[in-house]
Amino acid sequence: MRKYAQSFVVGLQSNLVYRWNFAVRSVFWFFHLVVVFILWGAAFAGKDSIGGYSFKQTLTYFVVIFVMQFFVGAFNEDYQISEDIRNGLINQFLLKPINYFSYRLSVFAAARVVSGAFGILALLIALPFFRDKLDLPHEGWRIALGIPALALTAIIQFSIAYCFGLLAFWFLEIQGFVILSMAIETLLGGQIVPLDLLPPAVFNAIRYLPFFYQAYFPGAILTGRQGYDFAVQGLAIQAIWAFILVCLAEAVWLRGLRHHTAAGG
Amino acid sequence: MKSLSHYLRIWLASAKYSLVRATMFRGDLFIWATVELFWISVNVIMVLVIYSHTQTVAGWSKYEMLLLVGTSMLIQRFLMGFFWSGIFEMGRNVRSGLFDFVLAQPGDPLFMASTRKLELDGLLNSVVAAGLVVYSAVKLGVHPGIAGVALYACMIACGVVIHYSALVMAMSLAFWITSSQGVEGSYFTLMEFSRLPREAFKGVASIIFVWVLPVVVVSNGPARELLHGFQPSWALGLCAATAAWFALSVTVFRSGLKRYTSASS
Repeated sequence: MRKYAQSFVVGLQSNLVYRWNFAVRSVFWFFHLVVVFILWGAAFAGKDSIGGYSFKQTLTYFVVIFVMQFFVGAFNEDYQISEDIRNGLINQFLLKPINYFSYRLSVFAAARVVSGAFGILALLIALPFFRDKLDLPHEGWRIALGIPALALTAIIQFSIAYCFGLLAFWFLEIQGFVILSMAIETLLGGQIVPLDLLPPAVFNAIRYLPFFYQAYFPGAILTGRQGYDFAVQGLAIQAIWAFILVCLAEAVWLRGLRHHTAAGG
Repeated sequence: MKSLSHYLRIWLASAKYSLVRATMFRGDLFIWATVELFWISVNVIMVLVIYSHTQTVAGWSKYEMLLLVGTSMLIQRFLMGFFWSGIFEMGRNVRSGLFDFVLAQPGDPLFMASTRKLELDGLLNSVVAAGLVVYSAVKLGVHPGIAGVALYACMIACGVVIHYSALVMAMSLAFWITSSQGVEGSYFTLMEFSRLPREAFKGVASIIFVWVLPVVVVSNGPARELLHGFQPSWALGLCAATAAWFALSVTVFRSGLKRYTSASS
């Protein structure tokens, strides 16, 4: 366990080197929030609710999703893993008593601590402009269920990114797959529109996909878009998906190693 | 000062190389074309979901909004097709020192860096974006004459130059910060504003995104020209913004270039 704690510390240090990148990203994610505010503000003009939710509730949903991504989003992990494979850096992990998934997970956790700090900073700067436009529910169970949901979201996001990164065992260039998956995840994860605004049949189908648990589900718990029963059921489905994806990541890793050729002295 | 024909010959050679490369990696071309198609679809779905709950957004009907989104996507696809790869790689090459290769080439560094690669997938999807514009125009009963279409095309070209300038400035940050990784996302965030109607912007947002940054003018100008005919204020505003932003981007790039220390000893 100590070696992964050490990887976490090294990950913290290396991510702090890129602090300006995180800062720039935070600023522009704030702009993304402004787009949401303008678009939904215009859509709500002259209306009390859309899909049963007020403008404040809708904006709160997007703000929570926005901040959440800084803590649980896998932004760059797929690229880093694919670079490890392409450059042969992966070879050193094959010779050492270290589990690559756990190593990458600890580096991912470190990166999220750093980006999370910038997310909070961005939120604190933005809050004076948005404070009176937010409407967070206060039920305690939402926090109690929201935190494990967030942890599972992080595992799901990381595992998907890990699997895509491992595609570098088979393909020279994986960015196409990554961005294709990002488009699907962004839409089906509820980052473009709250998923409960989709037709009920579509919503019920998406509920059983892992993308649903990448952003919408924890966001919906924390912002009051879904009730207790839905949250408990969802948490069970989310845990199953997290387990499946971790197993899939291990299977892809083992399969990829069979393809891998470690060259050089 | 190299002649225009010299640069045209270089560009044609690069374009020929890019086309040959694209036909060699047909799988890659297919994946990237699908990626672009998915992102267009994500934006269209967002509009459809919002309009399934409301009749107008800032006074724009569903098909007017789709025409605006199509126009915005058209500009972005042209940018992707003609310039994206070169500018995107510029950020990484500055960090790795591979930018030396561009400096050693027979032409202006910005031209050489940004026009090295043509991406066929972006250009293919510009047909899809154009299709969305045509479909929306037909649904709206808009029939522009030849002059109207020509003016629309000129305004699209201005939009491409503005997008190009914004992207060059964003990627030029690589000269100042450790890595521009993730900074390209800032460009996409900023360009999200171009899919919103001008009327949605109020107060400070109007000053920043309509008057200071040209992100709204870029798409609203051509879309309005199609919807309402020639509007001198929009056409002139777009031309002025194009000239100003291109000049600014060249200045920023050249300032950054002075800081470039190369990778060699």
